[in-house]
Amino acid sequence: MSMLTVSDLSCYFGGLAAVVDLSFAIQEGEILGLIGPNGAGKTTVFNMLSGFILPTSGEIIYQGRRLNGLKPHQICHLGLTRTFQVVQPFPDMTVLENTMIGAYVRHRSTADARRKALETLERVGLHEKANALGRDLTLLELKRLEIGKALASEPNLLLLDEAAAGLKDTEIEDILTLVRQLNREGMTLLIVEHLMKVIMNLSHRIIVLDFGKMIAQGTPQEISHNPAVLEAYLGQEE
Amino acid sequence: MKRTWTQRGFLLTGGALLIAAVVPLFASEYALHIGVLVLLYAYLSTAWNILGGYGGQHSLGHSLFLGVGAYTSTFLFTKIGLTPWVGMWIGALLAGLVSWFVGYLCFRYGLKGPYFALVTIAIAEAMVSLTNNLNVVGGAMGLEVKWHGNAPLLMQFQSKAGYYYIALVMLVVIIWLVNWLSRQRFGYHLVAVRENEDAAEALGVDTLRTKIQASILSAVLTALGGTFFAQYFTYINPKNVFGEGPSIQILLFAIVGGLGTVWGPAVGALVLVPIAELARGWLGGSFAGAHLLLYGTVLVLVMLFMPKGIMGLVASLRQRLNRNRPAPEEERRPA
Repeated sequence: MSMLTVSDLSCYFGGLAAVVDLSFAIQEGEILGLIGPNGAGKTTVFNMLSGFILPTSGEIIYQGRRLNGLKPHQICHLGLTRTFQVVQPFPDMTVLENTMIGAYVRHRSTADARRKALETLERVGLHEKANALGRDLTLLELKRLEIGKALASEPNLLLLDEAAAGLKDTEIEDILTLVRQLNREGMTLLIVEHLMKVIMNLSHRIIVLDFGKMIAQGTPQEISHNPAVLEAYLGQEE
Repeated sequence: MKRTWTQRGFLLTGGALLIAAVVPLFASEYALHIGVLVLLYAYLSTAWNILGGYGGQHSLGHSLFLGVGAYTSTFLFTKIGLTPWVGMWIGALLAGLVSWFVGYLCFRYGLKGPYFALVTIAIAEAMVSLTNNLNVVGGAMGLEVKWHGNAPLLMQFQSKAGYYYIALVMLVVIIWLVNWLSRQRFGYHLVAVRENEDAAEALGVDTLRTKIQASILSAVLTALGGTFFAQYFTYINPKNVFGEGPSIQILLFAIVGGLGTVWGPAVGALVLVPIAELARGWLGGSFAGAHLLLYGTVLVLVMLFMPKGIMGLVASLRQRLNRNRPAPEEERRPA
């Protein structure tokens, strides 16, 4: 059963077409990769799915509910949580408090939220930093916190926007391991990533965007041999 | 055994409360007057701090709510003889409605920072004009609270000690409330909104509702203080309750004391009010407005040299003392 279905989704900024007639589905339990050159519209898709931008036309159906027009916080409460490409911590709150904001989605009491947050911090390897302020973290720690905050909200569908960008190889390994583990536990993921080895490694299926249109979809294997993709993207970069 | 910071906090709070409670037994009426002002401004500033400090929405027109509280209870008292003890709640209700309306207008359309501040100034100023021209509330002459002698049921006292204790109770209640709220889901949500609105929204925080709730709470509490203000000074006019004067004072103490901290506004008022009052007393005759000049100077200095206020300074000193021991979580409140 598909968890999320997008049909004929378009987004125009004035005359500029950021996303045009995009249709795809995310199956329950899969990791779907979304790739494309800079400006292809990946982040715009994220912003529409998470409610930050209203689509110009088209429809987003998540677990049988129409998401168009819902606010981001409502979508989060339905079990669809996103991270941001540019990390968005709460700088003057501790790492624990940052994560508690996510945990409050499913827990009303502070004690429960704190317990959930601590548990989540352990998962993303930030346990020892629980009392540090958001503003005092390194990039790696901020990237982990970004994932931790989202995880604490216990999403069914997690949208990761360039979770590995800017990290060293060993650090990227950690993130890959974490994502695989989450997926094994039943979480569905949509990931945007610039790093080919990350996306090829993780994704069960990949969708390729170019100038706001889908130019290919398939397994990583198929995508890496698709001539249109090679021309639009991989060919130029490699 | 070494005491933890939390235990010290209890001792400190208890000690301060004890001292505050016995002050009227020794103090002169003039000293008590300054005491009442400290407590009142500490209270008002703490109410402002909920929206301004924790929520990061800097209202520069909080006199709007002070005035609604003061005018409502005083109007009902002078016209139909309703005791301010009841009138204050009607004023609070009205202030809540006004702030819901203003908050919804501003936040629904995403007004932030200076734009929100400007709207709050504009609305407070509009109320100055409105009340100036509304004869039923005395126009520019304002309203006088009729003196009924020592009448606690009408919130009137012969001695200043009566007012002092009311203000003390109000301050204790509001500080307890803010301290409690800051550890609840709502309190964390509010700080998250201040720190990063998009991130908060993405993590399920209804940022619009959170801001409106904070502004209603802040307005209701401010209006209750407004009734006390009117009863204590026994005279209100458009300028001295709706004007920019009280608006600035209210936020000044919070900024100097430390925005978004439980004790900041109270500490700010405790430090600044006596200085300003003494300056007014000494220089008032020869140099009217000396205290305003003083406020301005202090504000500039604080913003330049200790942007996190007195409580920020205390926190960093504490951190230095405690460098090797991780402080318990409760002590690491967001500044």
